[in-house]
Amino acid sequence: MSDALSKQATASDIARAVMSGKAKAVSVVEAALTRIETSEAMINAFTDVLAERARKRAAEIDSGRHRGPLMGVPFAVKNLFDIKGLPTRAGSKINLDGPKAERDGALVRKLEAAGAILVGGLNMGEYAYDFTGENAHYGPSRNPHDPTRMTGGSSGGSGAAVAAGEIPLALGSDTNGSIRVPSSLCGLFGLKPTYGRLSRAGSFPFVDAFDHLGPIARSVEDLALSFDAMQGWDPDDPVCTDRPSEPTLTELNEGIGRLRIAVAGDYFVQGAEPEALEAVATVAKALGVSRTIVIPQAATARSAAYVITAIEGSQLHLPRLRTRPQDFDPDTRERFMAGALLPGAWYVKAQRFRRHYRAQVQKLFGEVDIILAPATPCTAPKLGQVMMKLGGVDLPVRANLGLYTQPISFIGLPVVVAPLQRPGGLPIGVQIIANHYKEAAALRVARHLEKQGVASAPPA
Amino acid sequence: MADEKPDIARLVDEAAKAIGLPIALEYRANVLVNYERSLAIAQPLLEVELDDELTPAPVFRP
Repeated sequence: MSDALSKQATASDIARAVMSGKAKAVSVVEAALTRIETSEAMINAFTDVLAERARKRAAEIDSGRHRGPLMGVPFAVKNLFDIKGLPTRAGSKINLDGPKAERDGALVRKLEAAGAILVGGLNMGEYAYDFTGENAHYGPSRNPHDPTRMTGGSSGGSGAAVAAGEIPLALGSDTNGSIRVPSSLCGLFGLKPTYGRLSRAGSFPFVDAFDHLGPIARSVEDLALSFDAMQGWDPDDPVCTDRPSEPTLTELNEGIGRLRIAVAGDYFVQGAEPEALEAVATVAKALGVSRTIVIPQAATARSAAYVITAIEGSQLHLPRLRTRPQDFDPDTRERFMAGALLPGAWYVKAQRFRRHYRAQVQKLFGEVDIILAPATPCTAPKLGQVMMKLGGVDLPVRANLGLYTQPISFIGLPVVVAPLQRPGGLPIGVQIIANHYKEAAALRVARHLEKQGVASAPPA
Repeated sequence: MADEKPDIARLVDEAAKAIGLPIALEYRANVLVNYERSLAIAQPLLEVELDDELTPAPVFRP
């Protein structure tokens, strides 16, 4: 267990220390604010630091209010979450002219009700249409393991802030991979829950058909702790499930038991750099897995996810593309413009295929419980890098960092990313994919890997 | 001809006019690049055959 005031402290370490009286929430928050002040010049993770709000909340906790399983844990959120009193940037310049949020987003409220303390809003790719973590308005978030490299995106600030040890816990959003890509490139544990599991109320949308919210942290316990605190039906999000909450923390250490695990072959091997395949092989070996399965039509799933994203996202921004094109990030503007012109027939076909693909993958989950796949095809590219070589082919970085995440979020499957450290190299993550609503199984596998020392976040 | 390459520049210009989206000259070249890229990425979807009975769910429930 790390000192609750150190940058290595996990959310669970801090909550235990504050709960038992070994640490004061005000001291924890001060330590986090100091780390933020020190690190920001290098990593540029935060767009808004809420020092006074956090100090006030911490003092309330120390006086006995807001008791809960996340007592005293400082956290921050991708700036597409509503934060009371601030315009919801969603990585844009345009939204700064919009209304100030009247209350916090649903998940911020849930974490604070559990005793956590919001300390700020985090940098992100504009309107979440991004896999890099770069942003023309606010500068790129920088990878703490090598500040000349990308964090991955679009939840880039979330990855950078946790990997640098500024805070132990951040929330991000994942439409096509935006939690999983930065988790992989920054060497963190990330959870993209089942589509509809967590409320998206009070967050700026990107693609309603695929938008998910979830946590990024330095330990599996922290994912489970925060995920459990955020579960529950919310009438303000029509997609949010009314299934009862299914706590995951209580069974986290039950091991992998009889879980049937296989490695995804075919599409999920093609184009991967050796480090991505080595990471999957290391995890498979540690789990005693030798079976490979093929997720059928994964390439078509990626294609359909791309089409739905381009058309839904562009339609959302069409009024702004007409009136304020000069205020968009150049790296999103022309992609949105092109997306606005794609045929509607493609969209409908993609949604029809989605139903077919879901049924095919459901059949696979009759044979296995967990599927392993790379989270990213490579480690963090250089900031500003436009093209990269995958499998010997030159491909655009922006469109391809999410090559292996898109076919999974396309049908809303829950995924935990487990990070592997690479001595002398940059970290990389492996996707642990479970069937719908089986987050607990994916978390158990990640915890097993963590206990074995196979998966871990590099020191902050 | 079915295999004739579409005139992307004309398609983009006319579609933009049809939906009332002005595209300034300095953005146009990159819009074309992105439209071409979308066409390439969409190919696997465009080539797949689906049964008539396969309808999209109005609200997607996993």
